[in-house]
Order: sequence, then structure tokens, then C-alpha cells
Amino acid sequence: MMKSLMATTYLALCLSPSLAQAEAAASPAAVLDTYADIAEAKYADSLATARALQAAVDALIASPSPETLEAAKTAWLAARVPYQQTEVYRFGNAIVDDWEGKVNAWPLDEGLIDYVDASYGGPSDANELAALNVIANPQITIAGQQVDATEITPELIGETLNEADGIETNVARGYHAIEFLLWGQDLNGTGPGAGARPYTDYVTGEGCTGGNCDRRSAYLKAATDLLVADLEEMAANWAEGGDARQSVTADEGAGLVAILTGMGSLSYGEQAGERMRLGLMLNDPEEEHDCFSDNTHNSHYYDGLGIRNVYLGRYERIDGSVIEGASLSDLVAAKDPALDAEMRGKLDTTMDALGAIKAAAEDGFAYDMMLAAGNAEGEALIMGGVNGLIDQTRSIERVVRTLELDQIAFEGSDSLDNPNAVFQ
Amino acid sequence: MRLPALLLSLTLAAPAFGGVSEALEQDILPGFAGFAEAARTLAETAEADCTAPSVRPAYNAAFDAWLAVGDLRLGPSETAALSIAFWPDDRGFTQRTVTKMVAQQDPVVDDPARFAEASIAAKGLFALEMLLYDPAFSGYDAHSYSCRYVQAASIELARQAQALNADWEEFAKVLETAGAPDNATYMSDDEAIRALYTQLLSGLEFTADSRLGRPLGTFDKPRPKLAEARRSGRSLRNVLLSTEAAEQLAHALVDHDLPQVDAASDNIKKAAQSIDKKDLSGVSDPQSRLRVEILQQQVQSMRRAVETEIGTALGISAGFNSQDGD
Repeated sequence: MMKSLMATTYLALCLSPSLAQAEAAASPAAVLDTYADIAEAKYADSLATARALQAAVDALIASPSPETLEAAKTAWLAARVPYQQTEVYRFGNAIVDDWEGKVNAWPLDEGLIDYVDASYGGPSDANELAALNVIANPQITIAGQQVDATEITPELIGETLNEADGIETNVARGYHAIEFLLWGQDLNGTGPGAGARPYTDYVTGEGCTGGNCDRRSAYLKAATDLLVADLEEMAANWAEGGDARQSVTADEGAGLVAILTGMGSLSYGEQAGERMRLGLMLNDPEEEHDCFSDNTHNSHYYDGLGIRNVYLGRYERIDGSVIEGASLSDLVAAKDPALDAEMRGKLDTTMDALGAIKAAAEDGFAYDMMLAAGNAEGEALIMGGVNGLIDQTRSIERVVRTLELDQIAFEGSDSLDNPNAVFQ
Repeated sequence: MRLPALLLSLTLAAPAFGGVSEALEQDILPGFAGFAEAARTLAETAEADCTAPSVRPAYNAAFDAWLAVGDLRLGPSETAALSIAFWPDDRGFTQRTVTKMVAQQDPVVDDPARFAEASIAAKGLFALEMLLYDPAFSGYDAHSYSCRYVQAASIELARQAQALNADWEEFAKVLETAGAPDNATYMSDDEAIRALYTQLLSGLEFTADSRLGRPLGTFDKPRPKLAEARRSGRSLRNVLLSTEAAEQLAHALVDHDLPQVDAASDNIKKAAQSIDKKDLSGVSDPQSRLRVEILQQQVQSMRRAVETEIGTALGISAGFNSQDGD
């Protein structure tokens, strides 16, 4: 997409600056190009940080120590920063939604993968495999079928274990499976502290804790390799000529609807509802998105940031460079400057609220502590984020109408009021 | 700016934005008042005799009343609905939480202020259902912990219902003053009707996809245990009452006839009559499964009828709804 960016720049040199800007602002095609360019950069950043995680995991397995485990955790946390910012590409882009479950499925019944505390319980009504523990069991039975799990490979994880028995919480792959393998269960409830898996869980032979350290290492390695492969696939989809880029730029109206569908569905149903309010109302420390690592505050923050940078058409990459171009904001401002100001204001308000959660968590008031029953301060922080997200959704709807996209959504395939229908 | 648009709406689409007050006054507000009343009766019943056989009729009456307004997820209901009716609950939070409460005899049930803060999995219609209908709990006697728990949950439900009713009285003003300069929520008159229209569609979608879709699962893997309120055998009844509520709201929202909506409603009732297992457990049997699938299709038809007869007629489309996540 460098080509089109350069073309825009060239145009700007030829025409008077203000006219050129207006031209750029008025072009949905240019907005979609920026949207695809930002996706390309975000997935490329996600891939680069996942490769760094892969290297750190290799180092941990080769020589387990407190330092190598810590380095792997740090790499995982860094990998989440760009990835969470891609989540705004879900819901509107079928190709992303069909794939997303492979990398970021949550919540998970982690007993499927490895040992868990007695308080976790065993198989449940909802999931007979909730305590399968494939790391400890080379021979397993899934839905009546004997499975040879002697070798833990990406294929075994991807094709047999993940969503085994058709149960969504049998999450065997992706960021959260890796998170569990690095941190272990957080057994501190709504008190301070994250998961505390010892590095000795990866020591082979003498000194191995938790049993089956070689199989645990094999699992961690396979799951990390899978994550890298999955991100390679999605990064390619957004590169020049990639399917996702072609699909979203093929039809201007549908492309803009895709942007706004992602923004609205992530803001409201997914983040405000499923991930934030529900956990708060359940008062359940397991109901936080990054429950093993206590990284939920960052997860929410970068999700929110992803929504905003798609609207503003400006993404700061992990190396500090910036991808920017014609934006939805420009398009809205050209038609209704007040609405653009309102939309930007709402996005900023949400980021302030999510920033307050992040700051509090970094100060020692972890997200799972905020979820405790009767914790008024935690409730106020989380509801600040929820309310901001709900409020910005109303402005997103106004943008849809102002850009006269509601009839497209309406006549098209009810993608706005039922985005899932598009993907069925 | 305003005048020509207003004139246009008077001449061409007179009923377009007139339905919000009617929907509130005729349907929504009486619905919340009715639920508050039924929940109060439930609390009084439980106070008088908290054993399961005594409480069940009042419990069912309260659940019926809830379904008149239970699918509305905006304004005060945005948060409150979750703690009144926490479902879907695929991960079994309610079962786990109620089991733990009873096993530990958690004293929170003796402290109304603390109980009000308890997890939504510990209270509301579905925790009560667990206590009143699940054989693991329902045999409790009059002097047991579970009996006190049922009382506490009923009293808390009544408190929530009353608060929700009062909050809706206030929120109704926000909807009715859509477009007024000081209304920051609904900035033009059509945003209010659009908000209610979105609820209408998302309620029907919820019934088709969740109330029916979850137990249906797939042909190879039906999931009868995921049916809503299966322990009390209310699953099918909930489908009927929620679609009836949608039909009523649809009629209140516009003043033109809705023949397709009414026809879909008749078909839903007919389809439901052929289903003999009221907890929808027939989804596991190929023959009876088909009947549940037909019912689901009829609910989807009603949704399309609403889109045609209200959405297209008024030239509005739905906004985002709270079930848009994954």
C-alpha cells in the first residue's frame, strides 16, 4: 500500500494543501486503504512479537531458569500489545472472525491442558474434558474415541484438542493457552498476585516439578509455533494482494460498514458486555480476560486503543513509527464536523477510563481485585470503562447513519444488527 | 432546518416517530410495574412458607411477568437484567455458586445488604430455579439454610424489581425527550424509536439463537442441558412469552397493522403446540428435534416480519445490540 500513500502525497504536492486534504478526506477508497494498511502493520507487529516470544520459549525450554521464564513472560506481555489492537478487525471482517478463535479464544478450561489445583474441580456437566490433562496423559479419550497423544505436536493441538468434543472452552491453542503454560493458575482469588508457575515445571529429568516436564515443554513449544503460523497467515491476508485486504476494499460501502461493525460490536457486546460487565457482576476472578497473568488491564486498554486508532487512521507501531492516512474521522468531519468531534471525544473519554484501570492495576490494584464483591472502587473503575464503551457505541451508530451506511447494512445482510449472521 | 423535516414527517410518515410514548405507556412501563408486583408477591410467599412446593407458583408468576420486559436490554435494564436473569450460563456458574453457598452455609443470605452485592450467579431467577427445582436442593425443609436462601433471593429479587421499575419511570423520560437540547443520550427523535426497534429485533434474535439455538446445538451434538430454565420445565413457555412480548411491543411501537407479524405469531403458537417436551429435551430425538427447528424458523420469520413491517416501513435500521460479541 505504499504506492497509494505515495500517490496521495504526490497529489498533495500538486494541488493546494486544503483542497488536497478535502479530496483525500472525501474518498472512502483512501479510508479503506488506510484501514487495510493499519491492519497489515498491526498483524505484522503481532507476528514479530510472537516470533520474539517463540525465541524466548525456545530459550526457556533449552535452559529453564527464573530468568528465562521471566523473559518468556515479558515477551508474551509485549506480544499482547499489538495483537489486542487488532481485535477491532473482528466482527466486520469474516476472514478475521473465522480465524480468531485459533489465537485468542477465551475463557478456557485449562485443566484440559495441564495439572490444576484441587479447587478447580473435575469434569463438569458442561465439559467432560475440563480436567483431561493431556500433558500428564499420553493416551486420552475424547468423545468415546481413543487418541494417541504420545507426541504433542501442533497438529494434535490444532486438530484434535482444540474445541474437543465441540466445546468452546476446550481452548488448546493461542495466547491464553500459552499464558497458562507460562504463569499457571492464579490461585489468589480476588486477592493480590498472579499465577506463579515455577520455572522447574520445565526442568527435564531431576528437579522437574508438576510432572511430565518434557511433555509440558513439548506442548509450550507446539502451541507457540502454532501461534506464529496463525499470525503469519493473517499478516499475509492483509498484505498487498491478500484476501482480507481485497475483500474489504472491493466495495466501498461494505468496507466502511465493516470498519464500523468492528468498532461497534467490539465496543458494546464484546468488551463492555462479555469481558467487563459480566465478570464484574459475577465477581469471579477467573472472569478476567488475561486471568493467569493479571494482564487484563492492558488487554482492555489496547482493545480500546485499537478502536480509536482505526477511527483516527493512525497507528503507532511497536518500533515507534507511524502508519497514517485518510481516516473515517476525515470522512465524518467533511459531512458533520460536530459528529466527528463527538466521536473523537467519546473515544478519548473511553481511553481515559481504560487508562485509569491500567494505572490502578500498575499501581498494585489488579483487575481481579477490582472484581471482588462489594469493592466499590473497583466497580467504579470498571463501570467507567463500560459506560464509555456503551456511550461511544451510540456515536458509532450516528456515524453509520451520517455516512448513509445504514441502508447498506439494512439491505445487505443485516450485518450491523447481526454481524454474526454474515459469518454463518 | 427543523421545520421542513417535521412537515415532511407529518405528511409522508406521520406514525414514524410517534410510537415511543405509546410503547412506553402501553407496554413497557406496565410490564415493569407488573414484574415488580409479581416479585413482591413472590417475596411475601417465600416469607410465609419458603419450602419449594409453596414458592413455585409465585416463582413462575414472577418469571412470566419478567418475560414481558426481560428481553429489553437498554437503559436501566442494561445492567439490571443480568442480575435478575443470568442466562446463558454455559459454564455453569449458577450451579457451582449455589452448590457452594449451600455447602458452606454462607451467612451472606442473612444480610440483605451484603446479599445485594453477591455474584449474579448466586441470585435472581436462575439461582432460585436451582433451589426450587433441582433435585440436589429442592427437598429442603422449612428450617434449613436453603429455605432462608430462597427467602433472601426472593426478597432481593423484589427489591431489584422495584428499583428497576422506578429507574424505568425515569429512563422513560429520556426516551420521550429524544432530540431535546439537554438529552445527551438520544440526540434526535428517531434515535429513541430506533433504540426500541433494535431491542425488538435483538429479543427475537435471542429467542431464536439462544433460547432455541443453544439446546438445538448441532444435529450430531444436541445440547438439551443448555435449554433455558429446563429445570423448571419453562423452556418452551419462555419462548412463547418472549415472542408474545415482542409482538405486543411491535404493535405499541407503530399504529399501522402488522399482518405479517401477527401471522408469524400464530405460526409460533402452532409450532409450539406440537412440541411435547416443555424443557425442549426433544432436541436429542430426530423427530421431535425437527419440531423445535420449525419453531426456531417461525421465530426467525417473526424477526423478518418486524424488519419489513416496521424497519422498512419507517425507513429505519437496527443499531448494535448487546449480543453482538462472540
